Amino acid sequence: MIYILYLFFFGFLLTAVIGLFGSWIDRKLTARLQYRVGPPLLQPLFDILKLLKKETLVPFGASKATFLAAPMIGLVSVMVVSTVLWVNNVDSQNTFMGDLIVVVYFLLVPSISIIMGGFASGNPLASLGASRELKLILSYELPFILAVLVAVIHADFSLRLGDILATQAKNGVIAVSWSGGLALLITMICMQGKLALVPFDTPEAETEIAHGVLIEYSGPLLAVYRLMKNMLFFALPFFIIIIYLGGLRGHGLHLLYGALEYVGIVALITVIRNTNPRLRIDQVLRFFWGPMTVLAIIAVLLALGNY
Amino acid sequence: MTWFEQEIFYVDPLAISVGICIAFFAVLTLFYSWGYMPRTRGSLSYYLYILLTLATALGAVFASNLIVLLVCWGLTGVFLYLLIGYGTKERTPATAKKALIIIGGTDAFMMLGIALMGHLSGSLDIQHIRLTLDHPPAVVAFLCLLIGILAKAGAIPLHTWIVDTAEDAPTPVTAFLPASVDKLLGIYLLARMVLDLFVMTPAIYTVLMAIGTVTILWAGMMMLVQQDFKRLLGYCAVSQVGYVLLGIGTGHPLGIAGGLFHMVNHAIYKSCLFFSGGAVEQKSQTTDVERMGGMARQMPVIFVTFLIAALSVSGVPPLNGFASKWMVYQGIIETGREGGVAWILWLVVAMFGSAMTLAGMMKLVHAIFLGQPAADRQDTGDQSEKTPLLMYIPPVLLALLCILFGIWAYALPLKHLIFPIFEQELIFPGIWQPTLATVLILIGIGLGLILFISGRLAKTMRQTDVFIGGETLDAVPGMRVSGGAFYNTVQELPVFRSVFSLAQKGALDPYVMGSRITLGIHRYLGNFHTGILSTYLSWCFLGMMILFFVLLFR
Repeated sequence: MIYILYLFFFGFLLTAVIGLFGSWIDRKLTARLQYRVGPPLLQPLFDILKLLKKETLVPFGASKATFLAAPMIGLVSVMVVSTVLWVNNVDSQNTFMGDLIVVVYFLLVPSISIIMGGFASGNPLASLGASRELKLILSYELPFILAVLVAVIHADFSLRLGDILATQAKNGVIAVSWSGGLALLITMICMQGKLALVPFDTPEAETEIAHGVLIEYSGPLLAVYRLMKNMLFFALPFFIIIIYLGGLRGHGLHLLYGALEYVGIVALITVIRNTNPRLRIDQVLRFFWGPMTVLAIIAVLLALGNY
Repeated sequence: MTWFEQEIFYVDPLAISVGICIAFFAVLTLFYSWGYMPRTRGSLSYYLYILLTLATALGAVFASNLIVLLVCWGLTGVFLYLLIGYGTKERTPATAKKALIIIGGTDAFMMLGIALMGHLSGSLDIQHIRLTLDHPPAVVAFLCLLIGILAKAGAIPLHTWIVDTAEDAPTPVTAFLPASVDKLLGIYLLARMVLDLFVMTPAIYTVLMAIGTVTILWAGMMMLVQQDFKRLLGYCAVSQVGYVLLGIGTGHPLGIAGGLFHMVNHAIYKSCLFFSGGAVEQKSQTTDVERMGGMARQMPVIFVTFLIAALSVSGVPPLNGFASKWMVYQGIIETGREGGVAWILWLVVAMFGSAMTLAGMMKLVHAIFLGQPAADRQDTGDQSEKTPLLMYIPPVLLALLCILFGIWAYALPLKHLIFPIFEQELIFPGIWQPTLATVLILIGIGLGLILFISGRLAKTMRQTDVFIGGETLDAVPGMRVSGGAFYNTVQELPVFRSVFSLAQKGALDPYVMGSRITLGIHRYLGNFHTGILSTYLSWCFLGMMILFFVLLFR
């Protein structure tokens, strides 16, 4: 029963609130970098509320059931992931073995829901975008898994997030070691791909395929997708903070550090987003399977050597 | 039951579990075949062969004497050959011959292995043999038996018959034999060898894991570029066997249990995929991915079963594929705890293999069910025949099993099928039982909400035209994204281009290479058979002279 509480408050509300706030930071910072004023604080929330009031439009030729269900499946999976992450952060004794694998696999489901939504739209541009999203997943999964393994090695070969947090509480955060820092860098770049942000937003290229995967989505369904992306905007940096930076500890100065870590990661994402062009999908594949995988292998070897 | 004082049958939990699975799939195949196969004169022997396959497979599983096992194993191979022959493609006879040669040829290796085992241990009874792998003859025996197992289960490099069979044989045969029974038989024997017959060493475990990893990677990459969807499913089947080998190769009870559980799960969702695919094939009369599309509206039930099975193969929680893969990963981490670097490679390839499987399955889901229909099928409407009810039952049942085995993995399959195999209690501290069950129940609540809200939205929705930047789709009929070209980007990457083109030409298939070499030598030697009597007499005379020299001057 306690988990329903966790799910609702932490998994949904807190994640959504912090995610919307992070999205606002992103938009305000982008505006500032482009010499604009930028939106007010509650703008992301207003956007979602506005969309909820609009009509649901379904194109001819779409598979209706999949089209309607896909956004919500994505939202439920992000809720489950953030619940697991919060439970680990707050009370790491009460978790289960191997939940790192559960989190990594569940993080695939939001991308799958976007892909299914794109396929179900009956629009060739959406299908193109969805196939690009599939290739994007294929490309960043490899260095992502390797980088996450670095944290597992540091935590004495345990696949429990609770053990990773406990190791960092004892020995200091993983990110200060050579392997940990390299792994942090790699995971951040993979996260840029997971969130489908420039330079990896090929599946949703606004100028090429008119927003690709989400082209036919409007109204409440688009609101759900937007909310899912905003919650991912918190859940993924939170995952990085737990694995490499010791989690969000609640007492005293650590709370400030945690907030600064999150804001710092968001700022880094925004700066990368604004200073890079978009890559083609074959460039993305070559980038992730080439230099990033090599770096990730080096990080794993360094971790095995106890650096 | 004894015969000449030898035990014939041996019943223990491992045999019971595998036997139940084999019988279950035989029943489903019979149901499905009744709807799928045309009622011709020859079809009576088709059902006879399926029943005989069931009988010989059960004989092999419950055998106590190794000779009985070998005979039943070989007979299953013969019936496979006969059953493939019911396919209606042009290449079917060649494929059947290929399957028989690969399986029958490796049976010879098994015979050698069994003979060695009998010689080394003095007995041919499973219950009495327990060899240690410290001297070469025992290792050779193990490897010979392993070759037979790999051919039947379908791991690299003996997997090529499965891919061709998937394409050319009738779909129920493919769902029954390569997807479920052969794999169950092969992995049953591997489990018997690892648990009872041999005392394993880390080196041999590493060999198993290496083969498993190569299988996952190779078959996964090949899967992405196939045009025929049954061939794609065949490569997927090969790739999943890699996980089973990886699990059994870890040597830890958790990993071995995970490998065996994965084998059962794989049989379930692979058969579901093939059964659903057969229904689609019957409706659309083609298996080329380029020419299909948009079937979700015509076949909603099959779409759902295919989707559930596709998500299970990819290992998406909370379905059964994830449960068994999780156990295999835990087993790999346990080997990593003992030191060494290799476990990283196994784990990374295994998890990456999931991503590749997901990619392949999504390609199929899009190409067959979603997306726009092919141009030549857009105006036929729904004139094709209805799918018989008997063809619906197996996929629906299997999809339900996927969900059940995933959510209640502990209460149902693991407790009754897998855990009894191990004598000691498998204790897992802090394993995911109560908390994950709660999380999954919450997912269920979430799904309920989804259905509810979708229903509400469906009432108030409005349908519009598709937006492609100002044009209309009717005016541009060729504008569709078919599944064929999905992964061209991967295929054209510099390193992969040459590998893929070599593989398509058959240069990396031992059977094809072997047959080319054999026939080449044959052709060369055939030049000596000129038909002229005096040439033959000269050769005989020359041979006689050489013999005299050798015998006189020894």
